[in-house]
Amino acid sequence: MKKIAVFVMGPDRPGIIAAVSKTLFEYGCNLEDVSQTILQSSFVGIFIGTIPEILSEEAVLAALQADVEPMGLAVHLSLTQEPAGEPTVSESFVITTVGSDRPGLVAGVAEILAKSSVNITNLKAVFRGTKNPNHNVMIYEVDIPQSLDQHSFRTALYNRAHELGLDISLQHREIFEQIHRV
Amino acid sequence: MLTEREVIATLEMLRNENLDVRTVTLGVSLFDCASHDADRFILNVRAKITRAAANLVDVCDEVGLKYGIPVVNKRISISPIAVAACGFSAEEMCRIAVALDDIAGHLRIDFIGGFSALVEKGFTKGDCALIEAIPEALAKTDRICSSVNVASTQAGINMDAVALMGRTIRRTAELTADRDGIGCAKLVVFANIPQDVPFMAGAYLGVGEPDLVINVGVSGPGVVKKAIDRARTNHPDMNLGSLSEVIKRTAFKVTRVGELIGRAVADKLAIPFGVADLSLAPTPNAGDSVGEIFQSLGLKSIGNPGSTAILAMLNDAVKKGGIFASSYVGGLSGAFIPVSEDLNIAEATRNGSLTLDKLEAMTSVCSVGLDMVAIPGDTSAETISGIIADEMAIGVINSKATAARLIPVPGKKAGDKASFGGLLGEATIMNIRDDGGSAGFIALGGRIPAPVQSFKN
Repeated sequence: MKKIAVFVMGPDRPGIIAAVSKTLFEYGCNLEDVSQTILQSSFVGIFIGTIPEILSEEAVLAALQADVEPMGLAVHLSLTQEPAGEPTVSESFVITTVGSDRPGLVAGVAEILAKSSVNITNLKAVFRGTKNPNHNVMIYEVDIPQSLDQHSFRTALYNRAHELGLDISLQHREIFEQIHRV
Repeated sequence: MLTEREVIATLEMLRNENLDVRTVTLGVSLFDCASHDADRFILNVRAKITRAAANLVDVCDEVGLKYGIPVVNKRISISPIAVAACGFSAEEMCRIAVALDDIAGHLRIDFIGGFSALVEKGFTKGDCALIEAIPEALAKTDRICSSVNVASTQAGINMDAVALMGRTIRRTAELTADRDGIGCAKLVVFANIPQDVPFMAGAYLGVGEPDLVINVGVSGPGVVKKAIDRARTNHPDMNLGSLSEVIKRTAFKVTRVGELIGRAVADKLAIPFGVADLSLAPTPNAGDSVGEIFQSLGLKSIGNPGSTAILAMLNDAVKKGGIFASSYVGGLSGAFIPVSEDLNIAEATRNGSLTLDKLEAMTSVCSVGLDMVAIPGDTSAETISGIIADEMAIGVINSKATAARLIPVPGKKAGDKASFGGLLGEATIMNIRDDGGSAGFIALGGRIPAPVQSFKN
């Protein structure tokens, strides 16, 4: 068996998951993980599964394209591999920023994270500025390597937030889980 | 994935509502330090505490930084000195206190609690020596807290001890007269003292406790007040049933944070976690007050009729939320109403809304008692003993901890201001009836027998 990742993206509408999963099923694909996200009217879905060795991924991709391209969606398929080497030991934190919308906020914060090898595992940033334009919120869920010097990372992050006019906080994820989940 | 609501609500608690961990208290048993020689005993104690607590402050700060929640106080509770140092004279007990103060200073510990005696049923030689040493020990030290348990539901009230503590409090105040009698702010008389309190001045490590243990005291009156205010703004028709639910849920959240931090510190120090104490402990900072909660629940001021009912509801809701949040709950676990340590309560005593009589009534439903109450400096020892006896009776009959931390402020009278500095705050001296009318009762001595509700065997 070989492992494939299928990416489907385009305007959202009913029937996308049904079409993709039906085709994958017909090709003997065993799904392991599926996730989808909708932002405003745009859809992205990721399907990870295994297909028989004898089957060519080009054939699967062609079948998927025939299904979803008429729906206005793009599809991409690639072989995936298990990550090599020792995984980084890290801890989960949550970065929250509040402030006025302006171009470059995500780029500004993400640059500091990238420089410190901090991985963003989930990001929600919604800039609508309807009710209170000064109250746009970004929530980054991140994995911070245990080997990272927390103090200097925190300083760099807070300095950047200050430059961007953002009120920022960096909290351990466990705090949120302990408080809100039983 | 966390929801936006979860993240924002948590941040509000952390950033605007004074959510912190009020104290991480390391319990250290001193029973294996025993010696026939006081100097040897002090050496043993210094070695043991220094070894156990060498990293306490750094680990608390490190964990606080990691979680973004400050641990405000780092403290140590020790075996009651009257037991661990039984056999030494009052002068030697005093030397032990001074040595403990020095150890605390070196370790950057805020307070060491446990200069204590348990005398609810009678005195040992060690108890007598310790109580005799209290005034001088508290005058010569800054970081030592002392407690004496004079009553319990199982034993009744040791009225000889009550009389003795009246005199001891007076003497302690006199020896710290230049600082408004601050020695008495570090001395508390208890009924039913819990063995695992992390809060001062009552913290000590009970005889049934392990060799080393981490207990945490959570906090959060500001968080509770803001939660009530928010709920009432969003739902103006909310009644007390729903509001007690709001308090309960908030206490749950606060306790979870405290337990998380406490366990993280305990893990890092490789010391077992003991209990979370769920008390709502105020500080003399605006927005960190238990008194303000009474106003959020519709009273003009704490002390107005209705105050005892509110405190009963508050105390109960805090316990219910906290008990579910933590595997091991202990200590005092309820709402504190320390007069000088709470800006709002201090103001209510100043403007006459809260009298000593009302305060005493309220202590029958809260977790501590007459706490940080400044009284006129010339109050007689017998009157102080009478106030203590009443407070002890409330604890004994209700099978709960009660305490009296009374400060007769030397040279000052009712209405004057007393200032103790830092977390101890400042207070207006309360008016009390001191016409010598308690002296005859206090002079009788003996032990008031245990009440009928103690016979459960």
